[in-house]
Amino acid sequence: MAGDLESSKALSGLLSGLAQDAFHGHPGITEELLRSQLYPEVPPEEFRPFLAKMRGILKSIASADMDFNQLEAFLTAQTKKQGGITSDQAAVISKFWKSHKTKIRESLMNQSRWDSGLRGLSWRVDGKSQSRHSAQIHTPVAIVELEIGKSGQDQL
Amino acid sequence: MEGSSEPLLDAKSKVTSQLLDFQWKLGMAVSSDSCRSLKYPYVAVMLKVADESGQVKKKSFEMTIPQFQNFYRQFKEIAAVIETV
Repeated sequence: MAGDLESSKALSGLLSGLAQDAFHGHPGITEELLRSQLYPEVPPEEFRPFLAKMRGILKSIASADMDFNQLEAFLTAQTKKQGGITSDQAAVISKFWKSHKTKIRESLMNQSRWDSGLRGLSWRVDGKSQSRHSAQIHTPVAIVELEIGKSGQDQL
Repeated sequence: MEGSSEPLLDAKSKVTSQLLDFQWKLGMAVSSDSCRSLKYPYVAVMLKVADESGQVKKKSFEMTIPQFQNFYRQFKEIAAVIETV
């Protein structure tokens, strides 16, 4: 029913779910989960293209890291398209992006970090040191422990 | 210096590696497959260390700007403390 697809509260929840799946790497957010939780009255075949449309819009906004002017222009264009969105839906999307933009951007930055990151740093200063190999004896020495590793990604 | 299971900083521990060289670069990731407009600045560091046997190893890692600021603050603190010893 078109009325249900226009629910602002449900759309807000949908965008959250989409963001969790697409950006924050939250597992298990399926189409069926979103439909049954947020749009239980809408049949799957009607929900599917709606979900795809919203996902596409959210990904476009995030990919371009739109500022508020770009966002307005983009969403206005979407409302004027055939099979686009309503102005109420545009308002919900706009509000969502404004409040989640920073977090989504952070997740996107994390996704693009493949090299080792700095996981921890601890240090100690020794007053006097002596070493068989080092020429620096009887001088203060700083000892630093760096924990270097892949940031939360699986190692191959 | 690696993230091994035993921390190297306990009082009774053995010899640590010596820092030979510290190289850095400030990079800017412009675009990626998941985000066309990434604009993400980062600091990449390459360390050259010699272990107690003299073997030279290279270690590289990347920091976000906030992480680098914390890194810098810590070293500033080390510098201050080492003056007082």
